[in-house]
Amino acid sequence: MTRHPAPDLLPGTLDLLILRTLQTHSLHGWAISERIQQISEDVLQINQGSLYPALHRLEHQGWIDAEWAVSELGRRAKYYRLTASGRHQLAVEAGEWERMARAIGRVMKLA
Amino acid sequence: MNRHDLLLRIRALAVRPRVERELDEELAFHLERETRKHIDAGVSAVEARRQARLRFGPVSLAADQCRDARGTDTVDRLVRDVDYAFRTFRRMPLAALTIVATVALGLGLVATVFTIYNFFFLRVDAVRNPGELFAVSLTRTGSGNGANPRFTQADYEALRRETRVFTDAFAMSSDVGSADRIEQRPARGALVTGNFFQVLGVHAALGRTLLPGDDEASGQPVIVLSDTGWRKLLDGDRSAIGRSVVMNGAQFEIAGVMPEEFRGLGLTPPDYWAPLSLAPESRKTTATGADETAIEVVGRLAPGMSPAAATAALDAWASRRSAFDTFSEPPMHVRLTPRQGTLSVDQADAFFLFGPLFFAFGLVLMIGCANVANLLLARGLSRQREIGIRMALGAPRRRIVRQLLTESLLLALAAAVCGMVVSRLFLQSALRAVVTTIPPDFGLFASYLNLEAPGVDWRVLLFLLASAVVSTAFFGLAPALQATRLDLVRTMRGEVTRDARPGRARRALIGIQVGASTLLLICAVIFLRGAIAHASQPPDIRMHDTVRVSIETESERAAVLRAVTADPLVAAVSAASPTTRGILETSLPAGSMPVNVMAVSPGYLDVLGITIVSGRGFTRSERAVEAGVAVVSETIARQLWPNGNGVGQTVRIEPLRSASRVSTASTGAAGEPSRPLTVVGIVRDPVHDAGMGLASFRGVYVSTALETPKAWLYLRVRGNPELARQALLGRLTGLDPAFGILTLRAMAGMQTYLLEIGFWIAVVLGALALVLTVSGLFSVLSYVIEQRAREIGTRLALGAATRHVAGFVLSLSFGPVATGLVTGGAVAAAVATVLMATPAASDVGGWIDVFDPVAYIASALVIAAGCLISVSVPTLRATRLDPIATLRTD
Repeated sequence: MTRHPAPDLLPGTLDLLILRTLQTHSLHGWAISERIQQISEDVLQINQGSLYPALHRLEHQGWIDAEWAVSELGRRAKYYRLTASGRHQLAVEAGEWERMARAIGRVMKLA
Repeated sequence: MNRHDLLLRIRALAVRPRVERELDEELAFHLERETRKHIDAGVSAVEARRQARLRFGPVSLAADQCRDARGTDTVDRLVRDVDYAFRTFRRMPLAALTIVATVALGLGLVATVFTIYNFFFLRVDAVRNPGELFAVSLTRTGSGNGANPRFTQADYEALRRETRVFTDAFAMSSDVGSADRIEQRPARGALVTGNFFQVLGVHAALGRTLLPGDDEASGQPVIVLSDTGWRKLLDGDRSAIGRSVVMNGAQFEIAGVMPEEFRGLGLTPPDYWAPLSLAPESRKTTATGADETAIEVVGRLAPGMSPAAATAALDAWASRRSAFDTFSEPPMHVRLTPRQGTLSVDQADAFFLFGPLFFAFGLVLMIGCANVANLLLARGLSRQREIGIRMALGAPRRRIVRQLLTESLLLALAAAVCGMVVSRLFLQSALRAVVTTIPPDFGLFASYLNLEAPGVDWRVLLFLLASAVVSTAFFGLAPALQATRLDLVRTMRGEVTRDARPGRARRALIGIQVGASTLLLICAVIFLRGAIAHASQPPDIRMHDTVRVSIETESERAAVLRAVTADPLVAAVSAASPTTRGILETSLPAGSMPVNVMAVSPGYLDVLGITIVSGRGFTRSERAVEAGVAVVSETIARQLWPNGNGVGQTVRIEPLRSASRVSTASTGAAGEPSRPLTVVGIVRDPVHDAGMGLASFRGVYVSTALETPKAWLYLRVRGNPELARQALLGRLTGLDPAFGILTLRAMAGMQTYLLEIGFWIAVVLGALALVLTVSGLFSVLSYVIEQRAREIGTRLALGAATRHVAGFVLSLSFGPVATGLVTGGAVAAAVATVLMATPAASDVGGWIDVFDPVAYIASALVIAAGCLISVSVPTLRATRLDPIATLRTD
């Protein structure tokens, strides 16, 4: 199978993407990965295997919460939702990302 | 770690199957959803599932990473290690049992000592903020021992009135000497001021505590019982509150019962507390004045007051107070000592007392641990293959060391539990042994103190746990490191790696064991020889037909005296007051020195058989201080009159005054202050202390009457002193219920008895040490010979003589045993040298000879013999190896 491998995410960005995806409503794991893929127009295909360890880690950090609910398939799925401290963390990390992206952009343009 | 994390971790550990199921379900849902997406896009079901799996990657890896995110792997690994350890134990139950038993024995012994130490020094009483409680005592600059002024009730009241150092202070008197009776049963009480319980901040378990109102002489006489007293005297009857009991002939109402954990700042609780003001009523003595009762004053420091500031403030108060004194005396000083229900001695003294005990008992633990270490070293060799395989499969060395240590720690913890049982058994049987073997006259005294095996509390448990961990490090670490030092390739081939043979560690362990056993045995023999010497040395005072009588009920003194004088069993009667301190002044040559003064009746010197060197003793007519005569000890006389012309000199004795008010009330045993005394005789100082300090008296004897209050009677009896004692006891208890009588031989026996206890402790420890060492040596040597059977077989096959082989085997153990013997002896000698350099040297030296060569030689011989026996069996086995058979097996 000749397929372009998904580009490596910058370290730490997976957490940011997950938090941002959960900003408006709660989603289960598969939906999170689908949504990131759709919005990035298939550029960001996150490694589905590493999605779940990241979700569990974020849950331990208290930034997201999980609860079981009935899914679109009719069987139950684990839905993740942003907590108050997660919202705060998202703001911090998003600001950090903006700063970094602007800096890289400037270097690319002017250097 | 935040709250979420903690909760999730706990959940992961508590409901592991459920958390695992949920993880599986979550991952399975993802795959199903992804498959459905492909099916919806028109892919066949099989292909859809394949693509979904491909996109997801290995599911088990993701699941593992999710588990890592839980952060419970440390615990998981521990659980696995424990599980593995239990499987190992099941495979080798005998080895595990041996290890647990050996370590349990050692831990039990150490825990026993710690329990006793805890009993004396650590168990703070159950009172509010015990750290704020301080006892106040008075000292006088420049006064010798025993001359410290005592606190009086007036002093106590002035202290409360005039100082603001304490939020409040109470006074108590726990005079153990007097035998009280409640409802005909002997009881021990403490007299306390009415605020005692309030200052301590304790409440009654039943009824109420004493209140300040109870301490007024007009009040209804009440007492409060301790839990022990309540159970002993009233069989724990809950309806006892408000009941009236008869104590020493007077009626008392029981106001309350205190909780079990409250000891009234003592090591063991008294049976009851009574108001101090009721002293004359509760104690059936002709009170020589309430001021005579020795009281202890304890205060609770005011908030923000440091002990140093409080001492300074009280010092100022005390010197103001002594300024009112009519006599010019050195000023009084105040000392504050923490008072928390433990013995208030210096940490250094406590260490001096318990250091050797901990050391001796710890040695047995150490020897046991050394045995276990040897066993584990041997087992490490037999487990080389198992460990090699695990390491070859990628287990890091650290992981395996941890697993081996987990095994050791589990064994040590099991040993700690058994050690607890061992220590309880040891304490109880030791106490029972003491109670049954103690000279009977002292047994009564012991039962009177509510003696029982000291209890276990969290400190003892913590100590056991800590000791178990330390022992694990001692016996488990070296074998674990040794066992994992492997040549993997050769191990996998099934060879035992010879380089890992732990010969050096093993030799060191044997050396330590032999050394420690030597040390313990030397102690045992020193104590034994001390006890024998003590029992066989003829006493310097006449003991074989002398008994000492104490009269507790002063009002009956005359009647008791009449009775003993008339008794056909009594040949002679004399009396002696307790020793006091005085200042002896001489006119020719002019000078003064502090001396001990004992007032004795004329017959005393004769009854005790004290030899008169020159001059004469007291005559029958000189039976009062008014006679103006004195007899002086040889040492004192030599200091005063070096040219030996003491007889006929005139001296004066000024009493060293105790606290201001006391001495004016007391009937001066030391005589009127200014009366001149003529020295009529000089007596020899008895050298050999027969116990209870009788023969160690050096000072001035003044004469007094038989009837002197508080004096002991010394009687010469006819026939067997023990039979006479019992006959007199039976005849005289009717007159004085608290009447006490002891033969001097029994008193001396007490000192021999203490040496015997020391001997038995040392013998038990030494025997345990020797047995452990010998068995350890035996098993190690057997093992080594098994390991080297091929080498020995080859030697035999090549024609080595039996004695060569025997010599080779013996040489394996000779070095470490010899080193151990020398080291043990050297350590004993070093400890003895250090001991003799301390202030305690004179005390110890009078009892035992710490350099006794017989002890050193005898112990070395016993150990050498033990080792030789334990070595001989493996040696014989080695010489009988069949070389052909040995070579064939390989």
